[in-house]
Parts: sequence; C-alpha cells; structure tokens
Amino acid sequence: MIHIVYMSRAVRPLSDQDLQSLLDQCRRDNAARNVTGVLFYSHGNIAQLIEGEKEVLEPLFEVISRDGRHSNVVKLVDKPISTRSFKDWSMAFHPIEPSGFEALQGFLLPHHLPPPPSSLSIADAMLVDLVKLAVFGADATPSEPTLAHA
Amino acid sequence: MREQQLQDILRHMPAGVATLQGEALRFGFVNEAMQAVLGAPVQEGQAVADHPGTIPADLLDVMQQVFRSGRPYVAKSYGIPLPATDDQNPTPRYFDIALEPVREGDGPVSGLLLFAMDVTAQEEARQKAHHLAIETRRLDTRLRVLTETVPQITFTVDADGRYEYVSPQWYYYTGQPPTADLNAIWPLLIHPDDRLRVLYQSDSARAAGIGWSYEYRLRRHDGQYRWLLSRALPELHGPDQAVFWHGALTEVHDQRELAEALRRGEAELRFLADSIPELIWTATAEGFIDYYNEYTAEYSGLTKAELGPTGWINLLDPSEQAGAARRWVHSIATGEPYEGLFRMRRHDGRYRWHIIRARQLADERGPRWFGACTDVDDQHRLREVLQTQYDELARTNRDLDTFVYTASHDLKQPLLNLRGLFDELRRTATFDDPEEGEIVGMLDQALSQLDATLQELAETVEDQRGLSATPETLELRSVADEVLLGLRTQVQESGAVIDLDFAAAPTLTYGRANLRSILHNLFSNALKFADPTRPPHIQVRSGIANTGQPFLAVQDNGLGMKLPSHRAPVFQPFARQHPHIAGAGVGMYLVQRIVASRGGHLEVSSTVGAGTTFTVHWFGA
Repeated sequence: MIHIVYMSRAVRPLSDQDLQSLLDQCRRDNAARNVTGVLFYSHGNIAQLIEGEKEVLEPLFEVISRDGRHSNVVKLVDKPISTRSFKDWSMAFHPIEPSGFEALQGFLLPHHLPPPPSSLSIADAMLVDLVKLAVFGADATPSEPTLAHA
Repeated sequence: MREQQLQDILRHMPAGVATLQGEALRFGFVNEAMQAVLGAPVQEGQAVADHPGTIPADLLDVMQQVFRSGRPYVAKSYGIPLPATDDQNPTPRYFDIALEPVREGDGPVSGLLLFAMDVTAQEEARQKAHHLAIETRRLDTRLRVLTETVPQITFTVDADGRYEYVSPQWYYYTGQPPTADLNAIWPLLIHPDDRLRVLYQSDSARAAGIGWSYEYRLRRHDGQYRWLLSRALPELHGPDQAVFWHGALTEVHDQRELAEALRRGEAELRFLADSIPELIWTATAEGFIDYYNEYTAEYSGLTKAELGPTGWINLLDPSEQAGAARRWVHSIATGEPYEGLFRMRRHDGRYRWHIIRARQLADERGPRWFGACTDVDDQHRLREVLQTQYDELARTNRDLDTFVYTASHDLKQPLLNLRGLFDELRRTATFDDPEEGEIVGMLDQALSQLDATLQELAETVEDQRGLSATPETLELRSVADEVLLGLRTQVQESGAVIDLDFAAAPTLTYGRANLRSILHNLFSNALKFADPTRPPHIQVRSGIANTGQPFLAVQDNGLGMKLPSHRAPVFQPFARQHPHIAGAGVGMYLVQRIVASRGGHLEVSSTVGAGTTFTVHWFGA
C-alpha cells in the first residue's frame, strides 16, 4: 500500500456546483477502487492525499495529472505505508453557500478539519499540515506551537 | 439589297458607328451602339455641336480639326462620362475613338466616320495593375527600409545554401567590402569551433525543409568573435517544397555572457554550499525542502530523494519531532525565523546536538527559506559538564557558608560557658605571681577576641547571604516562581508536576533572602529525593494554623525517610538521610536555624516509599 500527496492549481476557479460534482464523482470512483484520502480546495489551490494499493494508485495518479481541469501538478510524496490513515475519502473547501453542504457525505469545512491522524508519521503529518496551510492560508489553520510549560 | 444588309450589320455592331456630314458635322447614320454612347437619341441631320450628348468639348474640337486637316486620328482609352441610369451611378467609360475623314472620290473632305470601341474593362484592368505596381513598390521600399534599419542582419538563402540577399548590416558588422563574395567569405568568419556545427545544422534544416535557430560566434569587424543567434523560416512554394529561407542574425553576446556569469555564480554558490561541513538546505514558500547540500547526504546517510520535502523531521530525536514540526509549520504560517536546538541522527545512528536555523527571503521571486543545521554537539556537551560543575561548586560554596554560619553560632555557647568558668575561676582563685595575673589578663583578652571574631564571622555570612535583611510583605507566589525558575533544569529533567496553592495565605512578612533560602531547600530536596519510578509531584500549600499563625506545607511523593523517635536529630548538620544522593547535608539544618531564629519551628512527617511532608510554622504560637 502506498500514499501519494500532490498539489496543483485549478485552470479556472471551481464553482460550488463543480465542487459538488467533483465530490460525488470522486467518492463514487474512490469507493469502488478502495482509495481513501482527503482533498483540499481553496481559491484555485488544490492538494490531495490518496492512499491505496500501488497498482490502483499509480495509474490513478497518471489520470489525475493529465486532468485538464488543473495544471502545475507537483507530486510531493509517493511512498509505501503500512496502514491507512483515512477511513474514507473526503473533501474540504469553502463553499460560497455553505448551508447546502453541511449535510453532504464526505464534505468538511476547512476549519472543521481534524488534525492529521496519528497513524501518519510526524514527517507526513507535517506535510499534510503544510499542504493545508498552502491551500487555505494561515487563518484557517491555527498552528501556534504549544510550548511545554515548566 | 447589299446596301440594306450592310446597314443591318452596321446597326447591330457591338462598336459605335456614326457618320458626320458636312462642315457642320451633321449626324448621318448612327447605329444602336453609338446611340448608347451618346446617351440622348439623335436625329439624322442634327449638328453634333448642337446635340453633343455625352461628347466632351475637346473631342468636338478634335473632330473639327480632323475635318479640316483631313488626317485621321485615333484616341486610345478616351474617357466619356456616361450619365446615370436607373440602376447605375455615373461611371466613366473608356473608348478607343477613331475619327476617319470621308472623301467623295478625290474631292475635299465631306464628312467624318466616327468609331467608338468600348475598352472600359481593359482600361480598368490596366489601372488596377498600375495601382498594384505602385503599392508593391511602396511595400518593397518599406521592407527595404525596415530590413536596413533594424539592428539585426537579415538574409535570404536558397535551397542550395547560396545567399540571395543579405542586408547591409552584414557588411557594417563584419567590415567586409560590398564586393565580397558572401558565399565564400561567410563560413570563414564563423568561429572555427562552431563552423562545422553551423554548416551541418543549416544544411540539415534545409534538407528537411524546416526553419532553424542556433547560436554561433561570428568575427566582427574588429576581429572579436561575438555570439549571434541565427533564426530562419522556409518560404514554401507548394506543399513541403521550400525554395527560400528568410532569417535574421541577432547579437546575443552580452545576454549570453550574462547568463553564463549567472550560471557560474549559481554553480559557485552551490559549490560553496556543498563544500561547507554543515547541513544546508532551502525550502519553498510552502515549507517543502527543495535542496539539501552534499553534506546533508553525507551526515544523514540518506539521499535527497529519501529525505524528501519533510523528511528532515525523521532525523530528529523522536521525542523532539512533534515540537520541531509544530514550530516549522508555525514559521511557515507567520514568516518568523525558525530556531531550535535538536539532536540529529548521524548515518551511524549517533545523535549529535545541532542548532537548526532558517530564515525567509522575500523578494520579487516570492518567499523562499534558507536554513542551516550547525553541529554544536561538542560545545553542548562541554557546557553541560561545566554547568554540572558550576552547580556543584555553587552548592559547596553555599554549604560552606552555611557551615561557617552555623559553626559560629554553635561555638558561641561553649565560648559563653568558657567565659563563665573563667570568670568564676578568676573570682575564686588567687594568683601570687604577678606574671600569672598578666596571663589571666591575656586570657581574658583572648576570650574577648574569640567572641568578636565569631560575631564577625556570623555577620559576614549573614550579610553575604542577605539573611539578616529586615522582613517585608512578600507574595508567596512570586517568590516561589522565582525559586522554581532557578530550579527549572531539574524540574524539566525530572518532568515534575508542581502545584502551587497560596489561596489561603497569599502573603507572608519575612526576610526575602530567608524565604527564598527555605523554599529553595524544600523544593530542591523534594526534587532530589524523588522516587525514580515515578515523576515527582510536589504540592505546595500555604495556610493559617489553629494558632492563628501562618504555615507552609510542602508535600512530595518521593522516597520518604525513616524518622527518628524525636524530632531534632533529623536536622543535625551533615546528617544525610540518603547518602547516595549528592549534598553536604546542611540544607535542612539551615532551614531549621532560620525558622527557629524567628521563633518558628519545622515539622516533618514521612512514609518510606510514599513521600514526605515538611510543614514550616513561620512564627511561635
């Protein structure tokens, strides 16, 4: 089993409807292929972590990187993992009209994102934090270091 | 019959035919085509001067002259403005007009034969061709001015590689005379190192029928070889059949030199970074490492790919990774410089202390991070050793002071006894020898001196330690925090949890140095005598006892001790409860002395293996 993390730029801003259809499509396809992970989207910035079997993920990433809806795809990590860190596939973004999204399966508001699961190595958890920061900016991810108090 | 036939033919001819008779030039025969040319219908016998129709005055004049001179005349492409009809605007139409004098036998000219052949289409084509020629000349001039004005050398080459054209700039640039044979000279002006390549590249581009773009050095008029960029595109005649290549040569020498200098500068910086025996790296604005120097690979034993964008975290001691990662994310979010002291794993598995520093560079290329990890392991270890030795010395020094202080106090009582006994002896005994009396006097003097010396000793230590300071109202919380700050290394190392509860009696009127000394001894004992199997938990509580006097209790979960049957011996000087733990054994003795000097007392209860509670009753009941 491997996981892949990449970042990219949307060719044009995605509307609420685009995002919802992307969410539906990915959840359906990924569930069928047993791919789990999380996608972040904000202001044209895209980042995604996917985990699954190597034979599934590598061709999937090929398809993703050729997708005409985004460009500047930069693969950050592609390495073997022992366990999954995400139980299904979900997506976090700021919809213009959030009310309809709250109830959607697999949708998260960026400030409701849980911290990276502890099953990730610290280096990978930091990578996810940095990716989150790069997509949503500093406001959505308060990351004040908690200093040990004497 | 033939007359009639001839008339019919003439009538329907596509050219205009008319006869003009007599000196007045009266219309005779006028066919249909001529009627159309004249515009208005004319009657036989009318004079042309009276009904000229469309015929301009100058043609009328010429008609008169032809009649008079008897010499025929042909006017080519003569423009006659035809009047507008219902569906046509007035347009000039062009005719070849022939005026033929008519004679009766050999007699004088009796009339004129007028032919008008419409040549409008030919004339229009001719005019169009004329305009085109003018336009072509204009464009040609413009192109020439442009090609001769631009700084580039422009050229045209045919399929065999022969130069059809080269702009004058080539001659200025190379300093060759205009008579120079381009095809022979040009290759000779190319730098010998580039010549074969250029000839081959241009040859293969021409063979393939495609354009080219390459750089080479050409000898300038001053003999210097300068870099030029040669670009050309084919002119296709028919599909895939290139006949000419048109192109331009641009001097790129300075750009190339600059790029070369930049490349060299970058390579030198990289070489510099790779030569430094420190871990040096750069990161993107998002915080992903995109460059590690050679030494990083050497130190860690991992390749750049193995380290990856965040893999440096894996090099740190596992207990430090989470904190280091949080701080890095924080720096990326805020742009604050990153700094920390961490243990980093070497390729052989040994951890060495490093200071990791990174700063953000923000310029027009966007923010980037530059970082370095400096090995401070030797310094760090040396400092640790020095710190331990310093602590030990400070403690010994304090203990010695305490010893002097207590000793001077403790010697006072025997001295007092000695003085009493001596006075008694002097009162009861008699000395006959006057020398003995002198000895008694000297003895008396020596006793007084001893007393003064002891007094001085005690006062000196008291002054130095500030133990004699006048009492003031103190915030227990702030004094306790101050003391804990001094003990923070021990607190951190042991992972101690310290609960401070001064709610019941937040202040105390006491000597500041005394209070500090007491708290220091109680806290450091609680930390020192901790049970190694559990982190120390120290509960500090102030309160008011039943007697109405304030007290302070310090309870730990440490080793505990076996208490002797009566209280006092616990706090004898140099009595040490735990000989395996470092200390001079005077700390608690001093605490007891200080507390006693204010009329208070110290209480202790302890269970071996569970912990000890010291209660300080500050004042006498």
